Amino acid sequence: MAERRRRFGYDRAVGLLGGACAAAVFLFLIAPLVVLVVSSFNRDASMAFPPSGLSLRWYAEVLGSPDWQVSFRLSGILVLMVVPTTVVIGTLAAYGLAQGSFPGRRLLQGLALSPLMVPEIITALGLLYYFHGVGLINSVPGLWLAHSLVALPFVVRAVMVSAANLDPALERAATSLGAGRVRVFFTVTLPLLRPGIIAGAILAAVTSLGEVAVTALVAGANTTTVPLRIFSAVQYQLDPSMAAVSTLLMAASVVVMVIADRFARISEAL
Amino acid sequence: MTRARRWAGLTYVAPLVVFLTALFLVPLVELLRLSFSPVDSYNTALPGFTLDQYKRVFTEPYFYGSLLETLATALLVATLCVLLAYPAAYVLARRAPGTMRTLLFVIVISPLLTSVVVRTYGWVVLLSGNGVVNRLLVATGLRDEPARLLTSYPSVVIAVTHVLLPFAIIPLTTALGGLDHNLHRASQTLGAGPVRTFLRVTVPLSLPGVVTGALIVFALAMGIYITPLLVGGVTQPLAGIRVYDQVETVFNYPVAAALSFALLALTLLSTTLLAGGFRIWERRLHG
Repeated sequence: MAERRRRFGYDRAVGLLGGACAAAVFLFLIAPLVVLVVSSFNRDASMAFPPSGLSLRWYAEVLGSPDWQVSFRLSGILVLMVVPTTVVIGTLAAYGLAQGSFPGRRLLQGLALSPLMVPEIITALGLLYYFHGVGLINSVPGLWLAHSLVALPFVVRAVMVSAANLDPALERAATSLGAGRVRVFFTVTLPLLRPGIIAGAILAAVTSLGEVAVTALVAGANTTTVPLRIFSAVQYQLDPSMAAVSTLLMAASVVVMVIADRFARISEAL
Repeated sequence: MTRARRWAGLTYVAPLVVFLTALFLVPLVELLRLSFSPVDSYNTALPGFTLDQYKRVFTEPYFYGSLLETLATALLVATLCVLLAYPAAYVLARRAPGTMRTLLFVIVISPLLTSVVVRTYGWVVLLSGNGVVNRLLVATGLRDEPARLLTSYPSVVIAVTHVLLPFAIIPLTTALGGLDHNLHRASQTLGAGPVRTFLRVTVPLSLPGVVTGALIVFALAMGIYITPLLVGGVTQPLAGIRVYDQVETVFNYPVAAALSFALLALTLLSTTLLAGGFRIWERRLHG
């Protein structure tokens, strides 16, 4: 009995220790983000933590700055361009890859996901050199294509999860009832793929909103997205206005995610 | 499925193939060609074929040293990520669905949904001269004066580990969540305590998740450059930063291209070797 009690105590201690480790890891994950949000409300121009007093002056400064306004507009426009592009191309591809059994399917699947496997600096350098040749450096179309390239594999992967679970009998039933192929796709297939498409759209939006690795090389003075402006500013100065922008950017991602979570489980797509 | 339908799949994939060929494959091939180009004294690429750029990459310590340093850093980060991911994934997988679980899950994926710049900037704030970490160090008497944490190698490892940690937690949570709970009960009925059950049953069965997470983190860590650049500065001896430096300050594109492909080759080679090693280990473990 005593032996059992001692073992129970030992196991409990180990369990508590594991729990404490997990808590430390969660704290590690969230700490930098929390610090940023709190610093953005600082009254003074220092990044001291905890802040000496609270104010919204950095938000007023950022939202009133023409430079930042241009960046916010550009980032918004890019999301609106990148999401439809990647969702259309990615959904069609994921459906074809999951349903078809043509030769070379595995190879194409590898190709579709390959931008994820290549180090980001190489994708960036490749696009930089290529865009120089075709005059797309420092242009909105250039960034649109670059962000679409980075976001596309996430969409393909997200939609493939839904497409793999698709029951072909449903499409066959619709066909046998007289629906044409196009009608089947739009009235049967697409609604069934909806969770994957929504998850993919969110990932594409968040990717485009936060992209820096490729943007840093292919953008220019006229096409500074919000994260790129943070990137160049942080290298030279530290003041709470950057924390305010970062918080706004985070808030944008959280809004996108909360909306999406009502429709789809993002966790499955990652 | 009819023959026509089988091939129909290919038409759906066609736009993606066109897109990736134009914006991914062609640029990579062009870049590969550039890496074999000779340069003049202004680092402008000239027509012709030369192995000079690769010779430089593999003989100058500035370049090959950065490749080795990157490899060591990526291995370190992958190890740290797996070790840190385990307790978090374990808690996440065992927790019943509910508000707490959702909250923890949001914490885990929150770094993925915020820009890498934002996450890194958080670390810059934490590690700066009068940042939280330094204040804690001074207040607890561990240091007499603030330490220079930014632009140091440890800060790079910390920030990169933070940025990549979710990629280790997610597959591990999936693997741990899929374990049959009866196995735990069986082990405990047979007399093993929770600790022994964890070490002899849970850990071996979760290895596929560990392997997936470790490989993803390793591959991403090989090519990461924004985070180490922001936290550690341009002098950090990592290959990604050296490529960026060649492009942005030296303007030597051919050498940047050669170093990139050396990095890509090293990434593919070591990922393949690691995956093979893990497979042998797993096979031995499960008999």
